[in-house]
Amino acid sequence: MNSQIEELACLYVLDRLDASERAAFEARLQNDPQLAALVGGLESALARRIRALPQREPPSSLLARIEARINRLPACGTASPAPVSAPGWALGARWGIAAVIAASVGTVAFLNLRRTADSVRPFVIIVGLDSRQSTLAELPFHQPPQNADARFIQLASLAEQFWEKPEDLPVKMGPAGQGGRGYALFDPGSNQGFIAIQRLPAIEQGKRYHLWLLDTISGQIRDAGVLPVTEPTRGLYFFSVAPASGAKPGRLDFFVTAEDASAHDSGQPRGKVVLGDRSI
Amino acid sequence: MESHPENEAAIEEACLLAQVGAGNREAFRLLYARYSAPLFSLAIRLVGDVGDAEEMLQDAFVKIWRHAASYDSRKSRPFTWAVTIMRRTCFDLLRKRRRLPMTAPLAADAGALPGYSSGETVRREAEAREDSERLLGALADSPPIQRRALELALFSGMTQSEIAQHLEQPVGTVKSWIRRGLLDLRTTLNDSAP
Repeated sequence: MNSQIEELACLYVLDRLDASERAAFEARLQNDPQLAALVGGLESALARRIRALPQREPPSSLLARIEARINRLPACGTASPAPVSAPGWALGARWGIAAVIAASVGTVAFLNLRRTADSVRPFVIIVGLDSRQSTLAELPFHQPPQNADARFIQLASLAEQFWEKPEDLPVKMGPAGQGGRGYALFDPGSNQGFIAIQRLPAIEQGKRYHLWLLDTISGQIRDAGVLPVTEPTRGLYFFSVAPASGAKPGRLDFFVTAEDASAHDSGQPRGKVVLGDRSI
Repeated sequence: MESHPENEAAIEEACLLAQVGAGNREAFRLLYARYSAPLFSLAIRLVGDVGDAEEMLQDAFVKIWRHAASYDSRKSRPFTWAVTIMRRTCFDLLRKRRRLPMTAPLAADAGALPGYSSGETVRREAEAREDSERLLGALADSPPIQRRALELALFSGMTQSEIAQHLEQPVGTVKSWIRRGLLDLRTTLNDSAP
């Protein structure tokens, strides 16, 4: 192989070719196994050079931040993966070629599965709360979550997004005034949610704010726990509830009561409603 | 050609990328587990600041997610493809800030950075040190300016003309050094592969 081709191969691996040179080189690469082997060897050397740098792990929270950003990306159209065929660097690894082909078959199967899943895409319930009434909306998940973690991250991202931009909320929180104001996001699939408090009426000493979930059809009330606030400050809080008992859940609503802090948790609201509406 | 562990890893990673391209979040996490430390280390080397490197790593993985479907295994190995994304992302930042990348000499790599050290990291650091020592030893005989030209080509956003200007050498000479340096690196590392 002449030095000119070697130089081009080096520049290609180092990403130093301009777009037209790169396209021409790639066209040649696909039809020249000897060149593909050279590039494979150079890529291997480059990879080992990079792995020979002092290695440092990124912070453990970074993946969640990346996934939160991915969740906020606009939905893409149908993905059209590039053909996955036997690359130069896989020559000789027979099972490898089979594995790559299997991956492309798996890709098609996954896309079909995803299309089917779209018709029953999970959703988040959003409830706007004020001191007198609630408004409700349903929002489909940005993309069908693949597992519980992904589901939670989508929910948390949505909560964070509305917290930063409440004007994007699809529900009303009620007018500014002296009463309570906030909203809740709830994923009925995981029974987890977030409540955003914009304002809460002050409560007497010895009381605490308690969040409840109400099924307005059956009247069933589920305990979503004590809000970790002692004064009417703004905040975004996570909660989870036990799965609903009975068959099909009806329309859901949320409300906050002022409960006696010294009383045992009875699992049922006894105090005055300070945010939302508990009427059926 | 025999099947080599590196080829096997590359095939697995190509499969992962195909799945990431189809929206598979689990495959994305597996790919992140494999690539995040080397790409983060590369980003630190390129931008010289851990905070910036974290931002760059985020940007790069979002790009990997978005563009995985266009990855073509006939053109490059998955890791090279990811490295290209990482380098371009860092160089974009440096250009915006009109700042030259870190161009510390090769020997500076021998000292590990402090911080996060899981068991896996310790193992990888040990492997990296071995590779680094082997690399330093094997390249000790090559002309320092050739090594320097290759390091600049690898870890700086400079064009070849800029490298030539920086080293005060003709562009043709610099191109030849970079070619020779990379080919030597391939021979050195591949001959001494464990």
